[in-house]
Formats: sequence, C-alpha cells, structure tokens
Amino acid sequence: MATTLKTTTPSAHTATAPAPGRQISWGRVAAWAVMIAIILITIFPFYWMLRTALSNGKSLPAHSSSFLPADFTWGPFKRVFGLASVAEAQAEGGSGANINFWLYLRNSVIVATVITAGQVFFSCMAAYAFARLRWPGRNLVFGLFLTALMVPPIFTTLPNFVLIRQLGLLNTLTGIVLPFVFMTPFAIFFMRQFFLGISREIEEAARIDGAGHIRIFFRVIVPMAAAPITTLAILTYISAWNEYFWPLLVATDDNARVLTVALGVFRSQTPQGTPDWPGLMAATLVAALPMLLLFVAFGKKIVNSIQFSGIK
Amino acid sequence: MQATTQAETLQRAGPAKTGRARRLARGDVIPALLFILPATIGFLVFYLWPTVRGFYLSLTDYSLFGLPKFVGLKNFQQLVHDKVLINALWVTLEYVVINIGVQTVVALGIAVLMHRLTESTTIRGAVLLPYLVANVVVALVWLWMLDSQLGIVNVILGWFGISPEAWFGNSALVIPTVALVNVWKHMGYTALLIFAGLQTIPKTVYEAAAVDGSSEWRTFWRITIPLLRPVLVLVLIMTVIGSFQVFDTVAVTSKGGPGNASRVIQYYIYEQAFSRSHFGYASALSVVLFVILAVVAIIQMRVLRGGESDLD
Amino acid sequence: MRKLASIAAIMLLPLSATACFGGGGGGSTTSGEATGQVTYWLWDANQLPAYQACADAFHGANQDVTIKISQYGWDDYWSKVTTGFVSGTAPDVFTDHLSKYPEFVSKQQLAPLDDFVSKDSVPTDIYESGLADLWKGPDGKRYGLPKDWDTIAVFYNKKMAAAAGVTADQLNTAAWNPTDGGTYEKIIAKLTVDKSGKHGDQPGFDKNNVKTYGLGLAGSGGGFGQTQWSMYAFSNGWQFNDQPTWGKKYNYDDPKFLETIGWWRGLIKKGYMPPLEKTVGVDGGQQLGAGNYALLTEGSWNTGALTSLKGVNVGIAPTPIGPIGKRASMFNGLGDSIWTGSKSIPAAWKWVKFLASPQCQDIVAGKAVVFPAITEAVPKAEQAFKAKGVDVSAFTVQVKDKTTHLAPVTDHGSDVTAIMTPAMDSVVGFKSDVNSLVQANKQVNQLFQ
Repeated sequence: MATTLKTTTPSAHTATAPAPGRQISWGRVAAWAVMIAIILITIFPFYWMLRTALSNGKSLPAHSSSFLPADFTWGPFKRVFGLASVAEAQAEGGSGANINFWLYLRNSVIVATVITAGQVFFSCMAAYAFARLRWPGRNLVFGLFLTALMVPPIFTTLPNFVLIRQLGLLNTLTGIVLPFVFMTPFAIFFMRQFFLGISREIEEAARIDGAGHIRIFFRVIVPMAAAPITTLAILTYISAWNEYFWPLLVATDDNARVLTVALGVFRSQTPQGTPDWPGLMAATLVAALPMLLLFVAFGKKIVNSIQFSGIK
Repeated sequence: MQATTQAETLQRAGPAKTGRARRLARGDVIPALLFILPATIGFLVFYLWPTVRGFYLSLTDYSLFGLPKFVGLKNFQQLVHDKVLINALWVTLEYVVINIGVQTVVALGIAVLMHRLTESTTIRGAVLLPYLVANVVVALVWLWMLDSQLGIVNVILGWFGISPEAWFGNSALVIPTVALVNVWKHMGYTALLIFAGLQTIPKTVYEAAAVDGSSEWRTFWRITIPLLRPVLVLVLIMTVIGSFQVFDTVAVTSKGGPGNASRVIQYYIYEQAFSRSHFGYASALSVVLFVILAVVAIIQMRVLRGGESDLD
Repeated sequence: MRKLASIAAIMLLPLSATACFGGGGGGSTTSGEATGQVTYWLWDANQLPAYQACADAFHGANQDVTIKISQYGWDDYWSKVTTGFVSGTAPDVFTDHLSKYPEFVSKQQLAPLDDFVSKDSVPTDIYESGLADLWKGPDGKRYGLPKDWDTIAVFYNKKMAAAAGVTADQLNTAAWNPTDGGTYEKIIAKLTVDKSGKHGDQPGFDKNNVKTYGLGLAGSGGGFGQTQWSMYAFSNGWQFNDQPTWGKKYNYDDPKFLETIGWWRGLIKKGYMPPLEKTVGVDGGQQLGAGNYALLTEGSWNTGALTSLKGVNVGIAPTPIGPIGKRASMFNGLGDSIWTGSKSIPAAWKWVKFLASPQCQDIVAGKAVVFPAITEAVPKAEQAFKAKGVDVSAFTVQVKDKTTHLAPVTDHGSDVTAIMTPAMDSVVGFKSDVNSLVQANKQVNQLFQ
C-alpha cells in the first residue's frame, strides 16, 4: 500500500485524484474498501432497528436470517404509541402493558430544552465574568469551579438524589433538570476559552460609549459568540436527551419519565422471558429519531461543532 | 476615531493608575456577581454540597428509610474485604483497557482514512451517527443483534461456519462484548476529534517529509502521531475517565451478570444504593472510585505530557 | 434595575416551565377517607384481565372508589416498588410476594391490617393450608391478605415422550436421587436427542451436539430456585432456613443441598441440560414450543402460556419423587399489601378486602390463570382449566398430599439475592465448585448477625 502514494501530493486538506495516466493505486482501493466497511458497520444497526420494528414478533424465529421485515406489520409502532389493544399486542408477542410514548417524548423534549437553555445561558454569563470582568478572587473561584470537573458524576449523584428527595422533587421534571440547569464546569470552561480570545478593544469602545456590562454582554459579546454558543447548545442538547442514569433514579413515574428510561418498559414482561423485540426496536427508533432528525437538519453544523469542541 | 484615541490614552496611562480605571476595576465586582450568581448557585448546591455530603454519607449507615446513622469508618473496613468490590474494579479495568485500546486505534484509523480520502461532510456525518443516539438505545440494538438465539450477528457468523456464541451470557465474552458495543458508539466521535487535530498539521510538514523520501507508513509514525499528541492526549484522558464510569450499557444488557462477570464499579454502587438500600456503603464505594479516578487522571497528565505540542 | 428584573425573570423561566409539567405522581386524593382513586400494581400480564374484571365488579358495588391498575414486567416491578417507597410515590395497594415482604416490613412500608380485619370481621380461615399466617410479621401483625398460590410441575412434550416410549405413568412415578438420578434421569436421557438423532441413553450420543435437551433450564435460580432446583432439594430432605418463616439462618451449606446441586448441574455435563450461557435471555417456554426442550420444570402461573404454545402438545406431570420417598414442590403465595404512605388507606383496605374475598377470587379462578388462595374457589379454577383442556392435577396433588414446602420468608431478601445469584450462576456455569456455596452461605448468615 505504502510507497505509491508518495508521489501524489500529500496535502493535508484535499483528496487528490491520481495524476493523469497513472492507474488507481491498490492502496487507495484498499483504503476505500475499509472506509466503506466502516460506514456499513456504522449504518447497518440502524437499518436492523427499522427492519425489526416492522416485524411480527411471533414470526421472528422463522425469519431470523432474512434481511427484510418478518411478516411486515405496523403493530410494533402501534404498541409504542399505545394504539394497540391488549389482544392485538399479545397476538404479536407484545405484552399489552400501558405505554404512553407521546408523554415520554414530551418529557424528553422539555428536559432537554430546559437543560440546554439554562445551562448554556448561565454558563455563558459565568464564563464572561471569569474571562472578561475584573474582580478580586476571580481566578481562585474559577479554579474552584474547575475542580468540580474532577469529581466523578456518581459521587455527586447519590447525595443529589437525597437532596432532590428532600426538596420533594422526586418524580418531577424539575427534579431531573435541576442539577444540570445552572451550569456544568465543562460549559463554563468552554465558553471562557472563547471569551478570552475576544479583543478587549471592542468592549472598551462600547464602554466608553456609556454601555454597562450587561448591555455589552447581550448586545456585543453574545452575538459574537454565536458559533461556540451553538456548538455548546448542540452538545448539551444531545447529552441531555440521551441522559439515562439520573432520570432513571429520579423519575420513574409516568408523568416524569423520559424516553431513555421508558425503553426499559419493553424489556421482559415475565421473569426469564424474552423482550418484545419488535416493540423494543420501534421504541428505540422513536427515542433515537429526534436526534437523527436534528442531524438531518443541522448535520454539517453538528459535525463541525464536534470537531470544534475538540480544539480547545 | 475618538474612542480609539481615548482607549489608547488609557492604555498608555498604565494599568489602573487613573481614577477612572480604578473605578472600572472595582466597578466590575457587582456585575460580575450578578453574572456568576446562577452558576454559583448550581455549583454550591449541586456540586460542592453533594461532594461534602457524599463524604459524610460514606461514614453512615443509611437505608433511605429513616435517618443516616453515623458509624465512623465501618463502611471502609467492610469494603476492604469486599470481594465483589475487588471483582468490580478488575472487571472495570478489563473493560477500560479493551474499550480504550480498540477505540483509540479504530478512531485513529478512521480519522486518517477520512483525512486521506475525502472531506465529505456526509461521510463524517455517517460516522458520527452512533454518537448521537443514547447509550441505552445502542445497548438495546446490540442486545438484539447479539441475541444468542435470533440475533443477526450469530446468523452472519453462521454463514462463515462459526458456531453461535452467547455474547452476553458467556462470562468470558460479556465484558469484551460490552466494550466493543461502546467502541461502536464512540469511534466516530473520537475519530472526528482526531480528524480535527489532523487538519491542524500544516501541509509543509508532509511536503518536507515527501521531499526527504519518507514512506507513507514512516511519515505516519514519525511525524503524524507525534504532532497529534495534544489531541490524542485529550482524547485519551476524556475517554478513559468516561470509560471507568460505564453504566448504561451494563444496566440494560447484562445487569452485572452472568455471575459477577460484568458487575462494573458504577453498577455495583448503584445496586448497593438502590436495590439493596445500603446508601452509606454505596457512598463509601463512590469515595473509592473518586480516589481511583483522581489518581488515574494525575498519572495520565504526568505520563502523557499533554500540554506540549511537538510542533514547537 | 428593570434590566435586572427582566434577567431574573428569564432565569426563572426554565424552572417554571418544568414545574408546570410533570407534577408528582401517586394516585390517591383525599387523605384518610374511604373514597377516591386507589392505585394497584401487579406484574403478570396474564392476570391483568382477571383483575380488571374484579376492579369492574368492585366499582359496581363501590361507586365512590375507582381502581387504577398498572402492570409492570417482573424485571421492573420490584425496583419500581422500592423506588416508590423511597420517593413517596408507591402504589396504594400492590401484589406482594412472600420472599419480598419481610424487608418491606422491616422498613416499615406496609400497613398492618389487623384492625381492619377485626373491625370488618374478615374470615381468615377460608384460605388454603395456613396461607393467611404466612403474611404475619415477626410482631404477629398481619401485613397482607392471601391472593393465590402456586406449585411447580414438569411440563413435557407429549409427542416426544410418546416417540421415545416414555409413558405418562412413568413420568408420574419418576424418582430421582443424587447418586445416579434414578428413573427421572433415565427419562431425561431418553428424551435428549443429538443432531444425528441419537438419544441420550444410546451409545454414540454426542453430548456436544445436542438438538433437543431432555430437561430445559431457565437460569440458575439464584438463591431461590423456585422452578429450577427447589423441588429436588426439598425432596432430598433440605430446608431453606432454621424455621419455616422468619428464620435467621440459611442452609446453603447443608450437604443435602450441595449434593442436589451437584447432581442437577451434572446433567449439563452429560448433555441432558443446556449450558447456562445458552439460557440467558431465552424464554424456556418458547424453547419447549420450538422442540429444543423436552421437559421443563415450571410454575402453575405459566400453565396458560405453556399449554397454548403453537405446534406442540404439552402435558403436565408432577415433580419426581426424591430420596425421602415423597415428591416436593415449593409453595409460594402472593398477597395484597397496603403501603403505609398511601393517602387513602381506608379506601385501599376496601379494595384489599374485596381482592381477598370469595367474590373476586371466584372471578380470578374462572379465568384459569392461577389457583386462588380461598380453598373453596380452587375447584372452580380446576374446572376452568379443564374447560380449556388442561389437567392441573399435577399441581393440586402437591397440596392434597401435603408435599409442599414454603418459599423462604426472611428479612434481608435483596441482600440474599445479591449474594446468591452470582454464586449460583458461577456454580451452574461451572466457574466454581459446588463447595463455593458454603462460603456464600456464610456471607448470607452474616446478614442476620
């Protein structure tokens, strides 16, 4: 594979075609083969989710090697949204338990949106104070905040659970949201890095014009920070949507259940039994869909955000 | 124009020497307090207080029914003899080694391939897809695909004459399986981070290497990897710390079994706290985890010398 | 200042948004009154229709109380209940289990029913052999009323049995022992078939390539082994604890227990039972239906599911006779308990009273899913099963012949499970020796010190 590529320009940024007259190198073919294999491995499970979600649970064993749905049916999706009667559900291998996915979807949306809005907003404000405002003890307090990054989440999870219980907020969306809505050390750190890079002159100019800090922040700084804020918002939204452990502990009641926790509902309905696989796959699709749709809409931005987040 | 001149005047006047500048410096305190207020509330209530409380709870017997009962170091004396804890640490370590080892290599490979073959956002997006979806969704899809009876993976292996395996039922296979499932989830994300790092390496370096007659392979090892060091270190630190705290996948698939083969430390803590109602003991276990992670982070920082970039 | 106010308002907005939605759970409304909504939880989906029918009948007679039934799968059920206790959102009434309720009593989460029982003169002697007393705590107070009972039997594939020359009579009189497995093991061997068609008792049988296992396996059973090994251990003369209920010592180190497990897991090595790893996440009933298992020891609660499997005709035989000269089966009973934190305990009591009454238990009996706790209702269940073409004498004979043994009723249930499940998994998976259970037993007994 190696040596033939030496003569093509080893540009860091472009994928060059082989020079005219030169045959396509085996190395390149092999590389593309590997790339395609990787993409297949990445995409195939998503297809398999769909294929199973459109299958009849009782026919699965007979069609285990078919790549098409086994006895195509919309049943699993009906079960997920609570549209199937107990008899219909059990006929296809489901359980007929009460499932209300619209509710869980709503809960996930609320949780993710509130967390993102709060976390990004408050962290930006704090980051600005650490980066651009001058006040005694600033770096000390920032260092203190950073130490929170060192503490493993599980360590604060248990006492936070006790705290939320004492506040009477178990099984409420507020309880799920509260520990995350104010800030995370990462968010503050991330935004501070950006704010540090802003030239002072712009602020000075605005201040001389008579603007107070608050107005400077909202009118000048925030618009400038649109890109990193978007990045942070996207990352926060994804992570809040996919959160499992904390919502599992705090909210099992239907009113406050989120999608990730609700997926557990489709697991074994009987001891030693098998899950309702089609129902489960349909449910996971529904749980994954919003993120996938977001991706289709903002794909390029998301990809670039993630890369950007790595360059701190 | 006038604003700039005034700013220049201020600068030339030296730091905080003029009365106006001094007022500005002190004047920052009040807006600063306002800006950091919500984040500080979050930090104090949901990071600092729980950390303190966590240490306190580790010295108690607490079943969540009734009040914590102070018992001094009893929990710590008990955990020293706890075979399941030792097992949990081993099992978690095994998981981390396989997960990080495979993930880093695969991600590096994907990043290099993308770098060499294509700039396409579509491909980058495809590779990123598993990351967007919740851990539990990934776990459930793979639980289904790796089902020992009906899973498609065993079916495909059967085409190659390999006999079906009980991926989650075989105590020797369960941890590697969980590790690889998580590799699948994170390889795209990690690859993108490395890819971003690759893009910061200037073309001139490669051109110089080509001029010197260095082969593709040699260029990769002698030049690319060393220059990627900051990015790789960042990636390694993030992923290792995260990896130690694996929970979602285990909770949804093997639940610690078979036997104790996949009872990773965070799952064990969760069980002790919420299934067996030994909240105090679970807090003591999380202290142990905290200490381990701190040590790991420090070791990583020292060994990997992440701050420097070999480019300088 | 206005800016500050507006900023403050913006800051509070996210929180108020969440407060508007997702309020707390829990069902009941009025405190302490015998009206309103009562939430009721159960785990068996097969029993849901029966209890819904009961709820409808109840509501007809008690218009001011509505019952809201929720079913959660077994995997979920107990963690939801205990989390509910902790977070204050447990159901008012829930289906309770003999092995689980002691811990709830020690955590003071169950409401004692004695005052209600005496005030309403509820008869407690109408239940099958002492079931009512099993729900009395160490303080002598009553924490649940019996609902149903179950025993274990051997479900078998009639066609396979006939093809192998195994008669129903042979199954009914099968006997086992830890040394050579007796006629029971011979039957299992006969019914095991490898991929080339050889039976387990024929020369040339390939134990590594088995097509049909003579005896199916549904997990290791942990420390409970209700459907897996309890029937053998009991019929070998073993008991769980030092006393029938509220014992303070477990006997997993008893030689009689160890030799039972040793024999039982040995069936795997002989190729008659599937290796443990092959049973993870696998439905034993489905395997029976698919012809992968010939025999399966299962509980009476699964009778409906197993006898309605498509493509296979399933017979039911009683458990084999053991070295003590008698057969045995675990006798488990479910009951209904009231949560102490319920907002309307009087209304909850009305429902529990109804559940424990002949009227509801007759309804349940008629649906042929479980055996009701009330002795007089049992024949109704037998008839209902018969009408569906199922002969349940294999279950009822245990009660008639008094060969039942109680499920363990002790405190620290969750810790015992947490210790014994990995230990038993390890033994049945051949990762540790049977004697490792001695060490596990030590750990278990330490809980009671």
